[in-house]
Amino acid sequence: MIYFLQTLVGGLGMGAVYALVAMGFSIVYRTMGLVNFAHADVVMIGAFLAATLFVTMHLPFVVAITLAVLLTAVIGLGMERILRPLESKDLNLMLIGTIGFGIMLQSVAIVIWGSFGIAVPTPIPNVPIDVGGVIVTTYQLFVLAVAGIVMLLLYLFLDRTKLGTAMQAAAMDRSAATAMGVNVSTSNAVAFAIGSAIAAVAGALVGPLLYVNPTLGVYVGIKGFAAAILGGFGSIPGAIVGGLIFGLIEAFAAGPLSAYSELLTFVVFALAMMVRQTGIFGERTVDRA
Amino acid sequence: MTTPNVTGLVVRDLSVRYGRVQAVSGVSFSVADGASLGVIGANGAGKSSTLKAIFRLVDSTATSMHFNGTSLQSTQPHHVVSLGMSYVPEGRRIFAGLSVRKNLMMGAYRSNWRHLGDRIERVYDLFPALKKFDSALAGALSGGQQQMLAIGRALLSEPKLLVLDEPSMGLAPVLIDDIAATLRRLRSEGVSMLLVEQNAKLTFGLTDRCIVLENGKVVKEGPSSVLRADPAVRQIYLGL
Amino acid sequence: MIRVGFGKPLLVALLLLLPVVLDSYTLHVAILIMLFAIVAVGLSLVMGFGGQVNLAQAAFFGTGAYVSALLTTTYGWNPWLAAPVAVLATCVVALAVAVPALRVQSHYLGIVSLGLAVAFSSMLSNSDLTGGAAGISKIPPLALAGLDLSGPRDYYYLIAIALILVVGFALFVANTTLGRRFKAMRDDVLAAAASGIEIRYYRLMAFLLAGLVGGVAGVLYAHNARYVSPDTFGLGVMFLLLAMVIIGGQDSIWGAVVGAVLLITARNLLTGVQTYQQLVYGALIVATVVFAPRGLAGAASDLRRRFDLPWPSIPTPWKARAVSPAPTRLQVVRPSPEGVALRVDSVSKRFRGLQALDGVSLEAGAGEIHGVIGPNGSGKTTLFNVISGIYRPNGGRVLVWGRDVTGERSFRMSRLGVARTFQNLRLFRQLSVLENVMVALDRDPAHAHIRYLIAPWIVVRNERERRARALRLLEEFQLHEVADELAVNLSYGRQRRLEIARAMAAEPTILLLDEPAAGLNAAEQEGLKAMIRKIRDGGVTVIVIEHNMNLVMNVCERLTVFGHGKVIAAGTPREVAANPVVIEAYLGQDASESKAAL
Repeated sequence: MIYFLQTLVGGLGMGAVYALVAMGFSIVYRTMGLVNFAHADVVMIGAFLAATLFVTMHLPFVVAITLAVLLTAVIGLGMERILRPLESKDLNLMLIGTIGFGIMLQSVAIVIWGSFGIAVPTPIPNVPIDVGGVIVTTYQLFVLAVAGIVMLLLYLFLDRTKLGTAMQAAAMDRSAATAMGVNVSTSNAVAFAIGSAIAAVAGALVGPLLYVNPTLGVYVGIKGFAAAILGGFGSIPGAIVGGLIFGLIEAFAAGPLSAYSELLTFVVFALAMMVRQTGIFGERTVDRA
Repeated sequence: MTTPNVTGLVVRDLSVRYGRVQAVSGVSFSVADGASLGVIGANGAGKSSTLKAIFRLVDSTATSMHFNGTSLQSTQPHHVVSLGMSYVPEGRRIFAGLSVRKNLMMGAYRSNWRHLGDRIERVYDLFPALKKFDSALAGALSGGQQQMLAIGRALLSEPKLLVLDEPSMGLAPVLIDDIAATLRRLRSEGVSMLLVEQNAKLTFGLTDRCIVLENGKVVKEGPSSVLRADPAVRQIYLGL
Repeated sequence: MIRVGFGKPLLVALLLLLPVVLDSYTLHVAILIMLFAIVAVGLSLVMGFGGQVNLAQAAFFGTGAYVSALLTTTYGWNPWLAAPVAVLATCVVALAVAVPALRVQSHYLGIVSLGLAVAFSSMLSNSDLTGGAAGISKIPPLALAGLDLSGPRDYYYLIAIALILVVGFALFVANTTLGRRFKAMRDDVLAAAASGIEIRYYRLMAFLLAGLVGGVAGVLYAHNARYVSPDTFGLGVMFLLLAMVIIGGQDSIWGAVVGAVLLITARNLLTGVQTYQQLVYGALIVATVVFAPRGLAGAASDLRRRFDLPWPSIPTPWKARAVSPAPTRLQVVRPSPEGVALRVDSVSKRFRGLQALDGVSLEAGAGEIHGVIGPNGSGKTTLFNVISGIYRPNGGRVLVWGRDVTGERSFRMSRLGVARTFQNLRLFRQLSVLENVMVALDRDPAHAHIRYLIAPWIVVRNERERRARALRLLEEFQLHEVADELAVNLSYGRQRRLEIARAMAAEPTILLLDEPAAGLNAAEQEGLKAMIRKIRDGGVTVIVIEHNMNLVMNVCERLTVFGHGKVIAAGTPREVAANPVVIEAYLGQDASESKAAL
């Protein structure tokens, strides 16, 4: 029982990070229909930026994470601009285009930071707390708290602000939203900037948990992407649930069969996708005559 | 930019092409302030494309396309609604994942959202059925209610010209009656109307004038009462 | 089409003579290029032709290499025994990756296959069995009849022969029935199924071919390098392969080969600045999809078209030869011209919250032209989707020539003699007009593709005969002048006609036409009327959904009228036109006006 709870708690930390990555994917997908395979590498760039500012330049963590978020948002805006012509083309081409972008970001990271990476200390003293035999670390709580705040802010933005509502409307029906007076290009750019900014938060948070290196995107990003799809692509609650599920599957798979944990994780994911293509919170579209 | 001294919507020689397909070729018409025009024709005749071109949602060419003196061709798509025209798209196209109230508010996207209460209440007066779904998701409404919502949403911007694309599509006769009654009420309040319909009889009953489109061209036009009696029109639409 | 010209023998000769002039380092690069070309050809088949976003191709390559390596080292097998087993194992892995593709497509499939590929690399680096990050070394070379193939020159020949065989086989597949079915499925799944293609089978098949080719390359790689490690089959290599195929041109076998030559050469020229080469090919991928989505092969064919250059080869052998005229179905009279061709018996179809069909019944006699009319949204197309097997009804039965076919899938309905067109044209856009028709004309069952391995000459012979029949059919539909144009480049009227020609190519006994007159001008409508009558005179029962009353009243012998998912009237056009219920429903109800108007 203790083992079960301990694994559960361990999985939640990474799960929260995956949920953030998944939210970044989802917000871009739902506003512009762009399946952004480069998002994984934006997470990695965000992690490097935060790590550099925090470790190398000795800035306070809050300042480092804020600057990283802003810089990544700018990268997001640039990517949106370049990828914009792909929006109306077929989905497979678009997907391949974003893969190309991801390859570029990865090599830019290697050029700037080298292929070895940076070890990041936790920004707050990492003290283990014993809760009825289950060990929880303060950094795990910190990760959960920050992820929770970001999710709440995103929810409030989408639900309570005019721009947020317009972005949702544009996601549901691009031309109807245009006819209502929404500038869809602006809304897309904002979505991309927000998606990238959330990616940077995820990257910054994951830094002290893992070793920050250019292949970080491959592991954290792809699972985040898969989490987004598992939860229901484009759905924000889906992203959160999908992320947590991935964190948990991974944690439970890591114990007994560590060499095969990735395989197990993705096989479970593949099976889940086959059972329900549209994910947990996905909308089934209705074909009409 | 020429600024013809005409009020209302004026369209001259409008053409729309999708790749190799010529959807609309050289269509001209106008809707004066306070007037109403019906556009009828079969599927694929170019009716919806004409409306999309007016709202700048598809690329088009025209020698002139103005609303109240402002050239639509030099207006950005998301600014068209600010000129005083609003659009009820074919198939309703409501924002299924937003609440009914948010859908209505989106109709007034270009206005200040703090003072929309009265306008929303007015729509609920017109369509009492919508009121009890205020905070429900629009996607959960029935087809008829969605159509009401789409019209209500278009009214929120307080348009001078209401442009409707097939409001009767897929609706039961009794609902079509309701919608028709509402549109008639709006007409009596001075809203001009551009109505695209496959349902010729509904259109004749709601408009002063009509144009008939076939293969992207205007093949007939005239007062609705005259067209209704035209044997050629009866032949095409009634199959008699 | 396969063109046997001077180019290919010359290329083969060059390939075989190259080792004479190359030094051993260049020879090593050439071997690498050839290996990657083989793997890339596999990716091109599954992704470019089959339309399956497969991001696990590097893992297939790795499976072949690792299985062969393991069997020959840890288990001490003879390499020639291990090689086929390794290829077979790769095929099994490829089929396992293909299973999700039966349900999910596009980006969903992309992430599933990418996830499995990541899992594969992580397994290689972490498992003791595969030697972890260090990999497996001391893999024995392949030896042939006492001749040691470990020298680079000997090995070059072995791989060159493999490349020639793989490219030859891939070209053969690409240009004949199997490749055409892949492309049809890629361009439009619904239309492909309605043309008799069993989609599930062909998705598996596409992955199987990718696995087969990837496995062969993997085995060759392992015994050439004599050492395998996880890096060689990781995501970096996957992206490199992707770049080769995209830059070369997705649906071009030669494109994949050229892509491999370019990128491996570039990679070896840029070895000093390794990080930048990744940047360069990332940028090339982005630039290619934005500016030249069909890659180098697409750009080349555009150039050729622009300057009107002929293909540098002799025309295909079966194009030049005269073929005895085969009758097409348009003239064939049905053996049993009596009875009920199609019976729909109180069929219901519900979508979430929408009763699209509510106890609909309809009967079309043999050789009848039966019209289905009703307002938009009244369920007409849904009925077609139920009859043609796209939707499974919630209740009721569909009988074709008295046989209960309720719930049969789309490709089966095509094979049972029901063909259809679609309201919004669904042509195979990137296939030529001729190929569009050939897809539907091709009635070979899926298992007949075994001929590619055991009797390729039958494939060629059938192809030749099919081509002749397709040309005759195009002539009847007056499309023979544009036989080699891509469908997407036709005018609207011709696209509509091609869709009917394609449906007729399947030799149906029942033809469903969904709004065939939409968007046609008056002259084209007249042509359509004549065409429908001619098709019927050939013995085919025609069911037509149409809004164009002129056509309905003049061509149809019986009508069924829909309103809100129900049949509200049926009878001859005269009866229906006189029915007040019909007039109200079809023209819309407007209580206050209705009496005045009519």
